[in-house]
Amino acid sequence: MKPQLSPLARGLLATAAVLLVVAVTDAALHDLLAQNPFGAPRPAQAAEPEASGLIGWLLAKQSEFYRQMSATIRAAKSDGSAVWTLLFISFAYGIFHAAGPGHGKAVIASYVVANRETARRGIALSFASALMQSLVAILIVGISAWLLNATAKTMCKAEGAIEIASYALIALFGLRLVWVKGRTFIRAFQAIQPVPAMAGVPHDHDHHHHDAHDRHHRDHGHDHHHGHDHAHHHHGHDHVHDEHCGHSHGPTPSELAGPGGWRRGFAAILTVGIRPCSGAILVLVFALAQGLFWAGIAATFLMGLGTAITVAAIAVVAVSAKDIAARLSAGRDGGGALFMRGIEFGAASVVLLFGVGLLFGYIAAERTTCF
Amino acid sequence: MNMRALFGCLLAAAMSLVSGAASAHPHVWITATSELLYAADGSVTGVRHAWTFDDMFSAYAVQGLESKTKGAYTSEELKPLAQTNVESLKEYAYFTFAKADGKKERFQEPVDYFLDYKDTVLTLHFTLPLKNPVKPRQLVLEVFDRSFFIDFQMAKDSPVKLVGAPAGCQMKLERPNDGTASAQKLNEQTFLNGENSNFGMMFANKITVDCP
Repeated sequence: MKPQLSPLARGLLATAAVLLVVAVTDAALHDLLAQNPFGAPRPAQAAEPEASGLIGWLLAKQSEFYRQMSATIRAAKSDGSAVWTLLFISFAYGIFHAAGPGHGKAVIASYVVANRETARRGIALSFASALMQSLVAILIVGISAWLLNATAKTMCKAEGAIEIASYALIALFGLRLVWVKGRTFIRAFQAIQPVPAMAGVPHDHDHHHHDAHDRHHRDHGHDHHHGHDHAHHHHGHDHVHDEHCGHSHGPTPSELAGPGGWRRGFAAILTVGIRPCSGAILVLVFALAQGLFWAGIAATFLMGLGTAITVAAIAVVAVSAKDIAARLSAGRDGGGALFMRGIEFGAASVVLLFGVGLLFGYIAAERTTCF
Repeated sequence: MNMRALFGCLLAAAMSLVSGAASAHPHVWITATSELLYAADGSVTGVRHAWTFDDMFSAYAVQGLESKTKGAYTSEELKPLAQTNVESLKEYAYFTFAKADGKKERFQEPVDYFLDYKDTVLTLHFTLPLKNPVKPRQLVLEVFDRSFFIDFQMAKDSPVKLVGAPAGCQMKLERPNDGTASAQKLNEQTFLNGENSNFGMMFANKITVDCP
C-alpha cells in the first residue's frame, strides 16, 4: 500500500480543494455580480491612479489603452505609422482586458478543469474562442453598420440578442457538464462508500475471484493485505470498484483528451466565442466612421490575440493546479478519485451557475448598455 | 508536495480573482455638468444635466443616422436618438441618486431633453424633476454607474451650479479621483474582502449642498 497521507496532508489537500472551488466560484460571482464591475479611476485624468497594487494597475492600464485607441485611429488617418501604435495598443488592451464580456476566461478555465483537458487543449480552446469572438464582432459591424448602415440602436439590439443567446449557451453547456460530471461524481462517491470495510470488517458477500483480486491487490500495492483471511472480501462488494481497477488513480488528462475531443471542444469555443466584446464593436464602428474600417478590423484581431494569451495562461494555471492535486490525491486509494471528481463536478457547476446567473439577470456582467 | 498543491490552488485562486476583477471596465466616458434647480421658496425642484460623451461612443451613437451635412448633426436630426437615450436611461435611474436629509428622493421622467453634436462629441441635455420638491438642510446628489460600464466625471470647470438657491447654501463636490472620497482605497484588499456589491459607488461623484 502506498503511504497513507497524514491527517495534516489530508487537511491541506481539503483546504486547497475548498480554496480552489471558492476561488473559482468567487471569480464567477464577481463576474456574475458585476453590477459591481471593477474599474479603474481614469488614468487619463489622474497621472497617478488612486488604485494601488497589481489589480489597480491592471485596471488602470486597461482603461488607458482603451482610451488611447480613438485618438490613435484618428491619427492613423493622416499618419500611416500610427497604425502600428494602434495595433500595439489593441494587443496590450486585449491582454489586460482578458476575457472581458463573454466571460471567456471563467468558462474556459472551468471547462478545462471539469473536462480533464490538457493544458495544450486549454491553450487551443482559448485561441480558437478569441478568434471567433473577433470574427463575430467584425461580422456584426461589417454587416449591420457597413453594409446596411444600421443605427447604433439596431446594432445594440443585435448585440443584446446575441448576448442572451450566449448566456443561454453557457447555461446549456454548464447543464450538460453538470449532468455528465455529476454522474461521474456520484459513481466515484459510491465506489468510495464501503471504504470502512477496509478496516478489516468482513463482508457477508461471498465471491470466488481470489485470483483476480490478488492481481488487483498487486496493482494497487496492497500486498500487505495478503495473508489476511478477509483480504479479498472488501473487493467483492462492489462492482463499481472493479470498473476502476487498473486505473483507480484516475486517467491522466492526456489520456482522455483523445480523438473526438475537438467536437467536444467546439461547444466550448462556440459558447465563449459567440459573444463579441463591446469594446471591439465600439472600436470597429469608430474606425468605420473615420473611414478606416480595415484598421478597426486589424485592431480587433490584435485584441483577440491579446485576450487569447491571457485566457490561455489562466487555463494553463487551472490545468496545472488540477494536475498537481490529481498527482497528490492519487496516493489515496479511491478517495483521490472522489476528490478529483468532486473538483470536476464543482467546476462544471460553476459554468452552470454562470450561465443561469447571466441569463436571468442576477448579474448584469458587462451587459451591453444601450442608450 | 502538499505545499505545492496548496500553492497551485492558491495561484489558481489568485489568477481567477485577478481575471475576474479585470473583466470589467468602463466602455463609455461621460463628462458631466449638473445644475440644481431651486424654486422661489428655496426648495429643490430638480436637476439639469449636460452629459458629454467620449468621441468613440459619440461616433458609435450617431452611426447610421441621416444628416444633411456629412459629419454634422443638428439637434433636430438627433431628436430620435435623444428620445431613445432618455427612455433607456430610465432603467438605470438616470444614474442620478438624490437624498434629502438622508431620505431617498425619486425623480420624474426627464423633460426638456435634446442632444447636440459639436467637435465630434455628443452632449445630452435633460432635466430630471424631483417627484416631490424638497427643502432639506442637506441635499446629497450622486452621479455614477453602479456597473461602471460608464465612467462619470464631473467637468473641470464649473461642474455644479446652484440655480436660484437661497443665500448661504454651501456646495461641496467630491470627485472619485481627488482622494477625498473615503472609497478611494482601491487595492487588493478591496477585492478580497468580498464587499464589492456596490463597487460603482467608488466612482460616484458626490455633490453635497448644505443650506441654513
